[in-house]
Amino acid sequence: MMRRDHQPRIEDLLLTRREMLHRCGMGMGAVALANLMAGVGLTAPAEAAPSAGGLHGPLAPRQPLFPGKAKRVIHLFMNGGPSHVDTFDPKPVLARFAGQPMAKPNLPTERKTGAAFPSPFKFQKYGQSGIEVSELFPNVAQHVDDMCIIRSMHADVPNHEPSLLLMNCGEARLIRPSFGSWVTYGLGTENQNLPGFIVMCPGGYPIQETQNWQSAFLPGVYQGTYIDSQHTDIEKLIEHIRNRSETLEAQRQQLDLLQALNERHCQRRGQDAALEARIQSYELAYRMQMDASDAFDVNREPQAIRDMYGPGVQARSILTARRLLERGVRFVQVWHGAGQPWDSHDDLEVNHRRLAKECDQAIGALLTDLKQRGMLEDTLVIWGGEFGRTPTVELPTPGANAGKINGRDHNHYGFTMWLAGGGVRGGYVHGATDETGFAAAEKPVHVHDLHATLLQLLGFDHTRFTYRYAGRDFRLTDVYGEVVKEILA
Amino acid sequence: MSRGYARRVGARGGAARATWSMAAAAWCGLAAWGAAAQPAPPKPASAPVPSREAEEFFEAKVRPLLAANCASCHGAAQQLGGLRLDSRAALLKGGTRGPAVVAGDPARSLLVQAVHHDGALKMPPAGPLKPEEVAILSEWVKRGAPWPERGPGFGVQGSGSATSGPNAQRPKPNDDHWAFRPVRRPPVPAVKDRAWVKSPIDAFVLTKLEAKGLKPAPPADRRTLIRRATFDLTGLPPTAEEIEEFERDTSPDAFAKVVDRLLASPRYGERWGRYWLDVARYADTKGYVFQEERRYPYAYTYRDYVIRAFNEDLPYDQFLVQQIAADQLPLGDDKRPLAAMGFLTLGRRFLNNEPDIIDDRIDVVMRGMQGLTVTCARCHDHKFDPIPQKDYYSLYGVFASSVEPSQLPLISQPARTEAYVAFETQLKHLEADAQHFLDTKRDEVLARAKAKIADSLMAVREQSQPGAGPRAIAQKHDLPFGLIRRWKTFLDGTEKGYHPVFGPWHAFAALPDAEFRARAPELAKAIAANADPQRHANPRVAQAFGGEAPASLQDVADRYAKLLSTGAGDDQLEHALDSIGGPLDISADQLPQLFNRAERERLQALRMKVQAFQATSPAAPPRAMVLVDAPQPVAPHVFLRGNPRNVGDEVPRQFLALIAGSNRKPFQRGSGRLELARAIASTDNPLTARVMVNRVWLHHFGAGIVRTPGDFGARSEAPTHPELLDWLASELTAPGASGEGRAEERKNGGAEESVRTAPASTLPLIRSSTRSDPYGCAWKLKALHRLIMLSSTYQQASMGDARGPQVDPENRLVWKMNRQRLDLEALRDSLLFASGQLDPEMGGPSVELTKEPFPHRRTVYGFIDRQNLQGLFRTFDFATPDTTSPQRFTTTVPQQALFMMNSPFVIEQARHLASRATGPTPEERVRQLYRLSLERAPTADEIELGVRFVKSAGEKPAVAVSQPPSNGPQPLTPWEKYAQALLMSNEFAFAD
Repeated sequence: MMRRDHQPRIEDLLLTRREMLHRCGMGMGAVALANLMAGVGLTAPAEAAPSAGGLHGPLAPRQPLFPGKAKRVIHLFMNGGPSHVDTFDPKPVLARFAGQPMAKPNLPTERKTGAAFPSPFKFQKYGQSGIEVSELFPNVAQHVDDMCIIRSMHADVPNHEPSLLLMNCGEARLIRPSFGSWVTYGLGTENQNLPGFIVMCPGGYPIQETQNWQSAFLPGVYQGTYIDSQHTDIEKLIEHIRNRSETLEAQRQQLDLLQALNERHCQRRGQDAALEARIQSYELAYRMQMDASDAFDVNREPQAIRDMYGPGVQARSILTARRLLERGVRFVQVWHGAGQPWDSHDDLEVNHRRLAKECDQAIGALLTDLKQRGMLEDTLVIWGGEFGRTPTVELPTPGANAGKINGRDHNHYGFTMWLAGGGVRGGYVHGATDETGFAAAEKPVHVHDLHATLLQLLGFDHTRFTYRYAGRDFRLTDVYGEVVKEILA
Repeated sequence: MSRGYARRVGARGGAARATWSMAAAAWCGLAAWGAAAQPAPPKPASAPVPSREAEEFFEAKVRPLLAANCASCHGAAQQLGGLRLDSRAALLKGGTRGPAVVAGDPARSLLVQAVHHDGALKMPPAGPLKPEEVAILSEWVKRGAPWPERGPGFGVQGSGSATSGPNAQRPKPNDDHWAFRPVRRPPVPAVKDRAWVKSPIDAFVLTKLEAKGLKPAPPADRRTLIRRATFDLTGLPPTAEEIEEFERDTSPDAFAKVVDRLLASPRYGERWGRYWLDVARYADTKGYVFQEERRYPYAYTYRDYVIRAFNEDLPYDQFLVQQIAADQLPLGDDKRPLAAMGFLTLGRRFLNNEPDIIDDRIDVVMRGMQGLTVTCARCHDHKFDPIPQKDYYSLYGVFASSVEPSQLPLISQPARTEAYVAFETQLKHLEADAQHFLDTKRDEVLARAKAKIADSLMAVREQSQPGAGPRAIAQKHDLPFGLIRRWKTFLDGTEKGYHPVFGPWHAFAALPDAEFRARAPELAKAIAANADPQRHANPRVAQAFGGEAPASLQDVADRYAKLLSTGAGDDQLEHALDSIGGPLDISADQLPQLFNRAERERLQALRMKVQAFQATSPAAPPRAMVLVDAPQPVAPHVFLRGNPRNVGDEVPRQFLALIAGSNRKPFQRGSGRLELARAIASTDNPLTARVMVNRVWLHHFGAGIVRTPGDFGARSEAPTHPELLDWLASELTAPGASGEGRAEERKNGGAEESVRTAPASTLPLIRSSTRSDPYGCAWKLKALHRLIMLSSTYQQASMGDARGPQVDPENRLVWKMNRQRLDLEALRDSLLFASGQLDPEMGGPSVELTKEPFPHRRTVYGFIDRQNLQGLFRTFDFATPDTTSPQRFTTTVPQQALFMMNSPFVIEQARHLASRATGPTPEERVRQLYRLSLERAPTADEIELGVRFVKSAGEKPAVAVSQPPSNGPQPLTPWEKYAQALLMSNEFAFAD
């Protein structure tokens, strides 16, 4: 390591070298972190969440404003909008009105809907809390006592694009940083050899594409790193993670030469943190090649664990997510699939059954696994879509649902999400929709309120966690949002 | 919680598609206050000027409370009880019950007593405030009720009244802010070390250094200087030959010659044009689109315009005017400047939501050209700068009055080559498909609309009643929105006087539903009698109400449907709907308004084919992405809280009062775009020149004189050298030293002006001059570059005074040059330059850079997808193409290193570079590679290091631990690995 400077440097004053190495749990590369910030033209954050002394660098781990229960996040995104009345919000009354026009609130959705459409799925009680869950999620249901089911979610509009952006970025149309970007900006990440915010979606993008994990005006390092989790080849997962023609040993030799050249360059220029940061970024990258391959290789899990998660791409993604979280990745978002898989405008029974089957076992396994490892208490698990679906049946629309009358339309007036771990109150149902499940009726929780609460769990006051841009201070919740205290354990 | 919920549902729920354009109604400033709000030390009761903390506490907590709970009854509009609560003076004066506030004494303050809701006076009447809200008011009064001088009134929260009218009680906040004052040419300060001063710039810099006891850094050596200058002006390194030539040149103007050579290079426009493209949020795609072509086929014409403007040194004022209003300039035969308007039009499309598109355009103009965050005033008066919400909508009107023509104009007549003719034929064919679909659908769609007359009438009526929103109504009647809208416009037009056909309908529709049965018979009778000459109905219509009285309005609608669908043999009835202005008088353009989903999608698919063909066909002739004025300019209204469905006062189209002054005149010509452009590109505008000289300084030094280059408002950072900023700004606009010649050039309009370089001898290097403005640039940026680069300040070494790091660790005083890392473009282009592969071709459609085989064009010609920005761009801190980007971030992350180590692109360049070294000995090859990549000779030590590496890399490792991928490309030779290491080195990636 090159230390030619004779003057104390700011970063050294904040933290001793040994502390730095200790915190990072690694050798030479750690020192670089101290320097990554150097030469970084980051606009000074107005309210410095990342104010704690210590490792510098855009992704160095940081303390939040106050100690949060949740240290990392996994967001299981059921894109397309799963039906709450078929999953976590039983509405037996629908059976009574089956096929009849329903006295429903005068609330328009995207398309025309008609009579009440009772759920084709059976519900039963689970756990100590006796919370009812449908037969679609028998494995998840085993964990109800650890779950907080919010049955009174609501959003703003019945369309995918704005609702996805609202759920992910707290704003339906304008360009704003995603929740994951905010969290990574606020907390950094624990493993410098992996991206801090990873997004997995098998087979391609969800609609609205990479905007769902955009960093907007935050620096680009906080943008989610997208991974097409249908692949298993590491090269397809992380760009340039492997050299196509060289062995690691040959690369090491080349890096040694490079650093010898760089050292001579530095010697002629005196201490410059920007130069050192770049030197060390090569060492980090070298290690990342090995660490990332390891993290994404689920075959390194014991057979029993792989069996517990089950077969299929969902299971592999979710298991990979756990490996990433375990290695210190701050935020992982797992989407169900490209496009909008849960968007069951028709053939709801068949489609929802298939979709739930693809992920139920793995999500159940994830909760078991996290708990076994002692990670559930500080890992925040979020499950949900961008909205729910109507309790009424969708009527045929030319060019849409193929003339079938067996699906549900979008519904942003009321839907369900659930949380687990990370300081969330388990075995608890928060709020309720109205009698038929059309709209949030009791203790409604807007998406902004959810964001405020999630930030609270992570140690941030959502009104004070801001970023100065274009002359003003922005926050995830804009001017809205109230923390839902009942959800906190 | 409940209140927040009610507000949201009330404001947003149950509304139509248009509704989500209003979510912007965010009180943006609030977040800012929350951030810093913390208890401030108590102030004496009479404290007239609140501290910053007190002010923020007030703005964050108190003003919103007063606004939300008190404004409607105790504000500018109403003063119940003689009480106003919108200024400190008013509170102290109080109302009929006496003072509302006794500063410093909450217990004796009526305001505080009232909000407790436990005494005789209970306010607000709707219910008590929350305990924490009461505590806030109490705390505020205890602190002496400080009220910031600059902002009486309730701000946005009150109502429209707070933002309307010249008497809106909102004096300009901080209009004495430095950036809003006129630019005055400051005197050049006297300094001790006069020998160091080569230009007034140096005097401004040195005077501050001397005040801090700092010495400027010694001059950079020649190699460093030319390397710096070459990267600065062209984004590429110099060749070793150029360096040597400069090192040999002992003439006093040796560096001036280098600068002039570089400014004359076409590479200059590619470098500095790219900086402007950051400001212009340039991209080749529209952002998220649902079902339309996502590429902008002609965005590149704007990029090429910008590069050419920089290369030709188009005066900056003209550059600005062309970008806003080239369509309104007398261009003559050369239509190329029309492409300038891409500046306005190539932003994100927000699913074609007009208010958002216009907001983007206002932002790029005002933040990009003026350094003003005007879009903060979309929903409310600007919180920090004197920009009322009305002024935002004055600008909004300018852009709402400008439209994109359906066929963009050609920039030049294409030559009728074979390829072009083939293109044209195919295009016509595709366009005809779409047109054919429209033609064949016409009858069907109109018949469907005619079958829904009763529904249409009822839908319009329901829209006027409280209850369901337009989306629910459209769903209920199974009608396209567009058709209801057409009917509404039409019926509104028949309300004046007594329309012979629809007069009776309006009369029935005016009956309240509850009274319909009771009152309809009498009304029907009168209509049937048709005796009132003031209310003469079409006889057939009258006849229709002759029999049994209608039982409901639906019944009336059904009768109308019968009459109108058949015409009943009556000419007036038969053509009531399809004569001019009727709901079914519909042009081919408008027909899709009546389409159902399947038809819309089909048409979209056909149109998409046309767009995709234009976007991908190499023979598509270049077109300019212009705006033109709408036939009728829009009279803009304020959208209260930014909500286009909540319309406030009308405002004129005009420029900001902040700049144009209180005597400003509304724009006179069309949309007013040209007038707007001229107001910006004016020597009198205090911001235009300041903002631009700061940008130029920023890109030369790595940091601006103002370190918030996109915000010169009250929340900006003060300039480190305010006098220097003003001096540069005044020189930028001042007529040139060779005044008349420049004036002559400007008459030519600039667009045609060829690249011209002033001979070195005319450069204003002389310190004393009798001319008042020997440095005047006449708005020409090349002159400004010269001015800056020929200063001692610019020519400093990047290592300086040993005390510098303590006294001024951020180098704000410029005691040395900042070492700068190459940005994405400079790095990628330099790799190609070193490998000998750089393709110098200029212009034309953008090329995808990240797919193999890799194009070797300069990075500025790369295709930029703003929706899913390519990883390479993100990794290397590319400017966000979503909004104007004043300055790039510089992050150092391992993904950048991975690119240098592993990307096939870098490896390809390493192979090419290695192949250029063909010397007979290893030592000679090392020398050649140094020269090609680092433009210098290696030291003996470096030669030895290189030779040793190549030798050992060629040896097989004793134990092969890992295997290279078996199906990968050929492993690199030792020389290729060595070449790659040079390309990866810090020396390659930094300019001192």
